[in-house]
Amino acid sequence: MTGKSHLRDLNEVLRDSMFESDRIARVLRAGPKTLPELSVALSVPVPEVTLWVMTLRRYGRIRELPKGREEDYYRYGWVEGGP
Amino acid sequence: MTEVPKDYDVLVLGGGVGGMESALTLGDMGFRVLLVEKEPSVGGRMILLSKVFPTLDCASCISTPKMAAVSNHPNVRTLVYSEVDDIEPQDGGGFLVHLTRKPTYIDPAKCTGCSQCETACTVAIPDEFNYGLSGRHAAHIAFPQAVPKKAVITRTGSSPCTFTCPAGVKPHGYISLVRAGKYEEAFLQHLEDAPFPGVLSRACYAPCEEGCTRGLLEGSVNIRAIKRFMADRYYAAHPEPALVPPAPSGKKVGIVGSGPAGLSAAHFLARRGHAVTVFEGDSEPGGIMRWGIPSYRLPKDVLARDIRNVTALGVEIKTGQRVRSVDELLQKGFDAVFLATGDTGGRRLSVPGEDLPGVWDAMAFLHEINARSSLSFHGKEVVVVGGGNVAIDSARSALRLGAKRVRMVCLESRPEMPAHRWEISDAEEEGVEVLPSWGVREISGEGGHLQSIELKRCTAVFDAEHRFRPVFDESTLQRLETDIVITAIGLVPDTSPFVGELAMNRNGTIRVNPETLQTSLPRVFAGGDAVSGPSMIVTSIGQGKRAAFSIDHFLRGETMVPGEFDFRIPEADKVSIASRSRALGTVREPSHLTRTPAAERIQSFDEYEGTLDEAAARSSANRCLDCGGCSDCRECVAACPADAIDLGMRARHESLSVRTVALATGFTPFDAREKPAFGYGRFPNVITGPQMDRILAPTRPFNAVLRPSDGKTPSNIAYVLCVGSRDEQVGNRLCSRVCCMYSVKQAQLLLGALVSTEVTFYYLDIRAFGKGYEEFFQQTKEMGVHFVRGKVGRIEETDGNDLIVHYEDIEGGGGQKTARHDLVVLSTGLLPTQGAAALFPKGAPEVDDHTYIREVDADLEPGVTTLPGVFVIGSATAVRDIPDTIVHSDAASAQIASYLKKGGAKT
Repeated sequence: MTGKSHLRDLNEVLRDSMFESDRIARVLRAGPKTLPELSVALSVPVPEVTLWVMTLRRYGRIRELPKGREEDYYRYGWVEGGP
Repeated sequence: MTEVPKDYDVLVLGGGVGGMESALTLGDMGFRVLLVEKEPSVGGRMILLSKVFPTLDCASCISTPKMAAVSNHPNVRTLVYSEVDDIEPQDGGGFLVHLTRKPTYIDPAKCTGCSQCETACTVAIPDEFNYGLSGRHAAHIAFPQAVPKKAVITRTGSSPCTFTCPAGVKPHGYISLVRAGKYEEAFLQHLEDAPFPGVLSRACYAPCEEGCTRGLLEGSVNIRAIKRFMADRYYAAHPEPALVPPAPSGKKVGIVGSGPAGLSAAHFLARRGHAVTVFEGDSEPGGIMRWGIPSYRLPKDVLARDIRNVTALGVEIKTGQRVRSVDELLQKGFDAVFLATGDTGGRRLSVPGEDLPGVWDAMAFLHEINARSSLSFHGKEVVVVGGGNVAIDSARSALRLGAKRVRMVCLESRPEMPAHRWEISDAEEEGVEVLPSWGVREISGEGGHLQSIELKRCTAVFDAEHRFRPVFDESTLQRLETDIVITAIGLVPDTSPFVGELAMNRNGTIRVNPETLQTSLPRVFAGGDAVSGPSMIVTSIGQGKRAAFSIDHFLRGETMVPGEFDFRIPEADKVSIASRSRALGTVREPSHLTRTPAAERIQSFDEYEGTLDEAAARSSANRCLDCGGCSDCRECVAACPADAIDLGMRARHESLSVRTVALATGFTPFDAREKPAFGYGRFPNVITGPQMDRILAPTRPFNAVLRPSDGKTPSNIAYVLCVGSRDEQVGNRLCSRVCCMYSVKQAQLLLGALVSTEVTFYYLDIRAFGKGYEEFFQQTKEMGVHFVRGKVGRIEETDGNDLIVHYEDIEGGGGQKTARHDLVVLSTGLLPTQGAAALFPKGAPEVDDHTYIREVDADLEPGVTTLPGVFVIGSATAVRDIPDTIVHSDAASAQIASYLKKGGAKT
């Protein structure tokens, strides 16, 4: 879900990360995804997905996969049994 | 006059690179240094950088040894997470420093920095150390190299829901757990704070919802419905309690009354290992919860399951045993007694005809229907007297008994009615007719049969001081034909057996110490309605909890400290939280419970509200605004292997004397939102220079250099220089001295990190004034970075979050041009930190025209301010890069040392 931005308050977006983490886990368990792919799967603007994924990554719940030089996007996978 | 030695030679205010350098230099000289830093770690802004220019040395590698050294220096005491409140000069020289050590809620002596509290935490907020590029949890370690590496919990106040609850339940805590899908943890957290989650999820009047900040927006969080979801789900999975009695304390407590206060006290006392026996005069336990609330509001099986949580802790409930004397219990060997006898019945109307058959006291009536009697009002007309919740319960119960017409009459006008407005509207929806502003003149009957009730107009209920003093118009009367009258005009406390044994109040309640609930007999405590008069269930539960706290102290021979029981921190600022959400928030309407239609629900006493399903409960919980930061869910307490979490920690205040003060308060980054034409805060791919430094740092918020909108590797990056510096429009005409070079540094790092990326600078001139700077700049040009001389006017966003930069091209033929980039970095300037001068209420060091702390003579007396004994370091006096800050810190340290050696401020 790209397009022109309508950024919500950062606090509001981040509060949703606790609520959305289960949905993110469900999508990523089906296979690694780029942030735009995850955005489409969740029907959520990609800037918000980026914030959630990077926050979950900080706590070891999500891990990036290696990316080829020609690829624009990393793929992210769910870390099973993460902390 | 005898001189009192000062605690410290120097106070260094600010733990950035300048402050640390000065503290170390002076400490090495043998001076005693107090270093105060407001953040949880020393390191200031430098530790957040990727590398330093022009050497491209790792900023962390340079900073961390200094951070460790200052933290471990024998002559330096470092106080992090502390704020200086004010600094006052002392007679004879020197200063008295008043400071506050902010509560971290984690004991630093126990914390090992393992991060398990961070991982367990259920509240996510913006990470200020990454300038909001990612989130962090309320429990957190500031950044990986933090010194000291100790966790801190962000807690800005009690969330209003938690602050409001009379029983000390922490709704924010269990709501954040439900939001995170931790339902069992949510239930158990409630049980730790208060028993009866099932009862409260149905019968509580939810003062928490009244306090909820969301109530200022679309409507409060449906807290009670969320609680009901979590309680019902837990009870469905656990038909019987899985609780185990704790190790016995050897003490025995007798409790009189098994209502909410009595059983709440029993619950908390049993958890402390005391042997508790509850004496209940009625045939089943529960008091008002069992006998005073109709089943359609509180099913009996829910109450019974709640009570089994109490008995599972070893509490013995003896029913059918009415206690007639306190002494009787004390003689039985109880070490303490708690009286929670509640209310005995209703107040009398004191009008003719009140004793006629067909006139019911509301409590007796509700008791009768809750005893599953065969009482029927089929085809009868009923008048309920009273405007409170008991009257509402009576009226709605009468309908369910088959009454053909139910009317409520009360003294109060409709807005004054004490019943909750939603109770009134539910009653009216079911068919109850409400007649406000009427008093009872008499009840009439013939042949022993009730026939009518005569009413008189009530013109005022309260006097000017809001005391209950009704005024009637005796000329305005009406008579209602009726078969039944139910009086519900107030309750009378059930304390008569103890009148000769205990000091009583004039209204018949037991007199107690309000802090401890101790009566006139030291071993006897009392609470609930027997002390407060009629109140809410949740208030009585709170009283039982308070009594248990006091009794436990008493039994252990400990003295209670005033205020020890209620250790709430002040309420979070609702208005500012609501305005933040209102401005850039998300509208989320409250979810509603399913309800049986009125015509159908009055056919039985079955519960008529449904329970939220999981999805609705979680999305309802996600409406919570996390008002106070930390939710008090205590997942960190469970996770911490070092038992270091201390949510009862409070701010500590210290006053220390110092000979000199060194202000090292650094700079404040320009807020790029003040240049709205550049779109910062609106366009995700417009970021600031400090944010890019975080993205480039080894401890970065992302896994690589990515653009924030979508995680794409940027391929065409623009830098806009002089944002917020050399700019009269924002009131800062000064050059910030570092923006050109940090941008050039970042360009070099980007070209190293990204293989095929274009970097373009929009600039007016490049100020490469320091040692090696010009060479560094030229090297960057040779690496292929484009330098476009021209001022940027505005930035627009395209579909797909690319950016169109509109600029004036000075050297490329002139005119206005546009260029498309996929990431724009605003090289934001630095501003003076405000507030340092305000720390000196009795005379402050002067500031210059730009509000930097003024040096008396920057050339000949570096660091010396206009106030004797006060010095200034680094960017607090003018923006400096890191090498200049170090040099200035050492120059100022030399001035301080000279001052001290010459006997400045004596000792």
